[in-house]
Amino acid sequence: MLRPEDGFSLLEIVIATALMLLVTAGVFSMMDPAHGSFATEPEKADLQQRLRVGADTLSKDLIMAGAGAYLGTGVGSLSAFFAPVLPFRQGATGGDPAGAFATDRITMMYVPSTAAQTTLSADLTPISLALQVNTENGCPRNVSLCGFTSGMSVLVYDDSGAYDMFTITSVIGALAQVSINRPAGAATKTYEKDVTKVVEAVSHTYYLKTDEATETFQLMQYDGTSHAGVPVADHVVGLTFDYYGDPNPPVLKKPVSDPTGPWTTYGPKPPALRAKPTAYPAGENCTFTIDGTGLRMPRLAVLGGGNPTLVKLTPAQLTDGPWCPDETNPNRWDADLLRIRKVAVTLRVETAAKALRGPAGVLFTHGGTSRRGSRWVPDQEIRFQVTPRNLNLGR
Amino acid sequence: MRDARGFSLLEVLVATTVLTASLAALAQLFTIATRANSSAMATTCATVLAQEKMEQLRSLTWGFDTLGLPLTDTSTDLTAASERGTGGTGLSPSPPNTLSRDIEGYVDYLDTFGRVLDRGPAPPEGAVYIRRWSVEPLPTNPGNTIVIQVLVTRRRTRGTADTAAGLRRQPDEAHVISVKTRKAS
Repeated sequence: MLRPEDGFSLLEIVIATALMLLVTAGVFSMMDPAHGSFATEPEKADLQQRLRVGADTLSKDLIMAGAGAYLGTGVGSLSAFFAPVLPFRQGATGGDPAGAFATDRITMMYVPSTAAQTTLSADLTPISLALQVNTENGCPRNVSLCGFTSGMSVLVYDDSGAYDMFTITSVIGALAQVSINRPAGAATKTYEKDVTKVVEAVSHTYYLKTDEATETFQLMQYDGTSHAGVPVADHVVGLTFDYYGDPNPPVLKKPVSDPTGPWTTYGPKPPALRAKPTAYPAGENCTFTIDGTGLRMPRLAVLGGGNPTLVKLTPAQLTDGPWCPDETNPNRWDADLLRIRKVAVTLRVETAAKALRGPAGVLFTHGGTSRRGSRWVPDQEIRFQVTPRNLNLGR
Repeated sequence: MRDARGFSLLEVLVATTVLTASLAALAQLFTIATRANSSAMATTCATVLAQEKMEQLRSLTWGFDTLGLPLTDTSTDLTAASERGTGGTGLSPSPPNTLSRDIEGYVDYLDTFGRVLDRGPAPPEGAVYIRRWSVEPLPTNPGNTIVIQVLVTRRRTRGTADTAAGLRRQPDEAHVISVKTRKAS
């Protein structure tokens, strides 16, 4: 058919060209979607990973919230003393004022695995802010100051519902100098020796950093000290916390004169009948009143119509008092925060590349430049719930 | 084949066939990558949804009252979007097979965003995930310890996994087990 020195016949050329065109057309038709997935798939994987990191970090910390001291005297969940989950930012820099509420901020406190758990051996006064501690049974041997070291965050709390976070700035022998983890000028009260527990503690605040100008949308973690917050995940565009709480107010389980607790179902125990450690009348505190016959009655209301199921706590309920330890305390907190048993988190993550985001709307929080569905990586949103184990000990 | 001869039609055909076959194989890679990504997302979602239900179950009352008597939540309905205090079974022991069948009260259906759609016996329109759970007393301490299991599957036939004895997790599914014991606070 093909003789030497001959070219192709017209028919051959037509067939060959047609074949070549078909193959090329096929290749090109595959090129476009392939190019699309080549751009979107790694972005999708990245987005999913950031979502997982955010959800994992938040749930691990939330599960620990409220874990209290476990060595020495006064052991037990932090919720037997004060509210360890707060719907605002707490700390030395940018701390919210007492009684604030923000749907996209949460602070949780807990005692990590540590030997530094004991009581004060000298009053901690607002003037000196010097920390001296007893050597209790759980303290490490031959270590001064029960293992407290410079730079450590410590939690100081007593029976009255008062607590404060401090950072140890320096240690000289058996004395540590501390600075309070609240905005400059914040007053603290005098914590009395022997009855005030002092432990190493973790305070983590999670919040969104939103800066439209530089397009920074980060999930941030802040440790309550003078250090700045650190980013946990990039391009987090939605963060919402909902709180579910115990409908029943705290009640007394045993007389407050009993030497060992827990005295209440949750929350701080009321003072002895004639004692008046706070602005509340003698024998009362933020969760207990005394009725006409001298009996202690819950100060908080029963929610949810007497049903034991957790109720969703509204911002109003969490910011309207009654205040603990009392309404004159600069570090006061709403008694209803003690009810928190479950936290629901909604987390929304967007893709980092503007070229893979479509018009702003349901799919995209922040609009991008892509106008074709094949080049879209929509925002992902997940909602999860965490039941902090130490806030549900009796449940 | 001598110089300046060009290719024969046969050679061109063979060459294009080889090219097409290899390109088709390459295109498969994109499909595989896409499928792997969506499977990873489905597994993540299923895990989060399973944990959400587990946390819901764990938040129900399973303790002692102030007199020291056992107190159990047996009325909370967990199938609603936000749980209701009445009309459900709470932490009372579930009937057998709630993990392998859709049994009302122990199953809910969720859309692709993880929103609860319905509690009915059959998956409604738009359901993507099926979430089943079971509450069993621990045989050695039935009064005080319960085993809670949650299984989240994509909406599809699980086939023999639903008929076989014992529960097997399949790809894209999440199976979470937890044990809860009564504790005095």
